Amino acid sequence: MSVLEVRDLHVRVDDQNEHKEILKGVDLTMKTGEIHAVMGPNGTGKSTLSGTIMGNPRYQVTSGDILLDGVSLLDKPVDERARAGLFLAMQYPAEIVGVTNAEFMRAAINARRPDDDPISVRQFIKELDHNLALLDMSEGMAERYLNQGFSGGEKKRNEILQLLMIKPTFAILDEIDSGLDIDAMKVVAKGVNSMRGAAFGSLIITHYQRLLDYIKPDVVHVMMGGRVVKSGDADLARKLEDEGYTGLRDELGLDIQLTDEN
Amino acid sequence: MVRVKPFTTAAELATFSADHHEMASLAALRQQALAAYPQLPLPTFEKIRYQRWPLFNGNLAPEQAANQTVTSTSMSAPVAPLATTGAADQEPAMIQQLDLQVPRVQLSAEAQAQGVVALDFFQAQREYPELFAKYYGTLAAPALANRLAAFHTAAVNGGLLIYLPAGAKLTAPLTLELTQSGDNGQLYAQHLLLVAGENSEATILATRHTTTAGSASANIVEELILEQGAQLRYTAIDGLKNTTYLARRAYLFADARIDWALGEMNDGDIVTDFNTDLVGNGSQADFKAVAISTGSQFQGITTRLTNYGLHTVANILQHGVILSDATLTFNGVGHIVKGARDSDSQQENRVLMLSRTARGDANPILLIDENDVRAGHAASVGRVNESQMYYLMSRGLSKDLAERLVIRGFLGSVLTEIPVAAARAALTATIERKLIDGQRHRDRAQ
Ligand SMILES: Nc1ncnc2c1ncn2[C@@H]1O[C@H](COP(=O)(O)OP(=O)(O)OP(=O)(O)O)[C@@H](O)[C@H]1O
Ligand SMILES: [Mg+2]
Repeated sequence: MSVLEVRDLHVRVDDQNEHKEILKGVDLTMKTGEIHAVMGPNGTGKSTLSGTIMGNPRYQVTSGDILLDGVSLLDKPVDERARAGLFLAMQYPAEIVGVTNAEFMRAAINARRPDDDPISVRQFIKELDHNLALLDMSEGMAERYLNQGFSGGEKKRNEILQLLMIKPTFAILDEIDSGLDIDAMKVVAKGVNSMRGAAFGSLIITHYQRLLDYIKPDVVHVMMGGRVVKSGDADLARKLEDEGYTGLRDELGLDIQLTDEN
Repeated sequence: MVRVKPFTTAAELATFSADHHEMASLAALRQQALAAYPQLPLPTFEKIRYQRWPLFNGNLAPEQAANQTVTSTSMSAPVAPLATTGAADQEPAMIQQLDLQVPRVQLSAEAQAQGVVALDFFQAQREYPELFAKYYGTLAAPALANRLAAFHTAAVNGGLLIYLPAGAKLTAPLTLELTQSGDNGQLYAQHLLLVAGENSEATILATRHTTTAGSASANIVEELILEQGAQLRYTAIDGLKNTTYLARRAYLFADARIDWALGEMNDGDIVTDFNTDLVGNGSQADFKAVAISTGSQFQGITTRLTNYGLHTVANILQHGVILSDATLTFNGVGHIVKGARDSDSQQENRVLMLSRTARGDANPILLIDENDVRAGHAASVGRVNESQMYYLMSRGLSKDLAERLVIRGFLGSVLTEIPVAAARAALTATIERKLIDGQRHRDRAQ
């Protein structure tokens, strides 16, 4: 079993000459075998949390820690964290011309293996074909340049394809459902569910209860104002859907401005 | 102005011409160039200061090889086999030249049937004097244009003629492997004269390579003449190690078309003069080049396409990468002269700098003397895209590998132009090697 711990995490972004504290003490612990969901209003720091866990250099950790199996990740660059078992399906994946999807996934798999023991072409193709079929993707997608000209939904599916090929220990999925039609959402959920098991944990950031109907979470966290303000079981997400964030904020007696009220 | 001492004497040069049974008119032109070059100005290339480079070093003949005559009278003299000839039996047409020796020519049945000529520079003068009289140093690369051109004319000590008769159509590419030893003290003043007759069609795959770096200079001139309606794809991968001047100049008659795809993967300092004159109406030139500068080398690449004829179309695309303390300057010159109505001149020049000490420039220069035209340019000097790097590294790829993949995409424009898979693979491998070397050098320095 593996454990990913976020302890009293404070994060700042430096935007020109403005220093903005975005995360103000996030605590969160997850284990393999569990699926956690994070919900919260726009601009509250969910993507900041996922990017900071992954090691995006634009986020500055000012205090607190991120630990994988008790070892701090803070001084490790993003590629080392990835090889240590983390994966982040991004809200806005980059497009890269000249590198095919298949070639990229093979490089990512081999980055986790010893130099003298790369995955065989046969094995790779077998897994690729299996996962393409699982996600209802055409074989042509693997030969296209990485995300180049992919539609919004295709990019999301492609993030899940990478997840299935790389098989990380912990996967953070940042709004993997945004912009997906209902069928595509089911397909993506099928992909994530196929990873479920004792050796895999996931943190799913979403705005919609619907995704959680297909991927049932063990724990739901609500983030507001740069903190986790409440955690609970799957019912918490349903309650939020009914009452909205304002209701929860008032119930908890929090003094937080939500972006959509004036 | 710096005084230039002629590199040889008129008498020595006369002996050289006689030994090579040179055409009288060319021997006379040599003497004229020898007298003229020290006084002629060096050509100027924007932002490329190469004036103090050792571009005039070396002897007419190789040092150690005093007993081995370079004369072309003995056509049977075998050329030492090149290390890279493994694929020779699959390549239908292959021309190999080691230093300035008599080339080894192996023409395909197709090329032979269509009367294609590929010959040693000196032998060709004897067999095709009319081609030399008409095209050598006259149209594409004027013999006395400036100090570097005239020096070449005086010193040219070997090369090739390639002639495609009118109507010849080669379906398979013609491969040129031109190798310079580099460390034998011999000035490498190599000349390629390529004449593509009316409506001929061919693909050239050229590689230029220096085996071991040395102090002798290289002054290489390629002149390409495309007669009316000729279509030429010209791919070249250059891996030169000595200080080099490289002129690659084409002259296009009506409706001729040239597609350049060049990989400047040199390891030494180089100044280039890439030039295409679109003289005939309706002629077209598409020029694509990629370059990588590493270590402390300087690559100054100037590409000039000039629209003279009506309805001419000229495109330049140059992408380059710089590591360590190296310099890479791209000048793209698009010139539309008065009267070249309904012409088009477009260009894009971009460089990526991969270290803080890298120096790079991308200068688009548009000179438009006619109103009824279309012209445009884009240029940038930048760093590797951070979000692309982050994305690739977030999947576990090391920084160096991620960087190489992003760069491969950036250089992909030329790679996709290369018509033969083996040549594409060769350029990809060369790019990979240069980048790995450059990254190693940089990562050590940091
Ligand atoms: N690089 C940056 N520069 C300046 N501000 C930033 C930067 N990155 C994030 N922020 C700010 O930090 C806050 C949190 O952003 P974040 O993207 O983490 O929110 P989120 O919870 O993911 O929102 P959403 O639900 O809309 O995706 C926002 O106010 C955002 O503008
Ligand atoms: Mg977000």
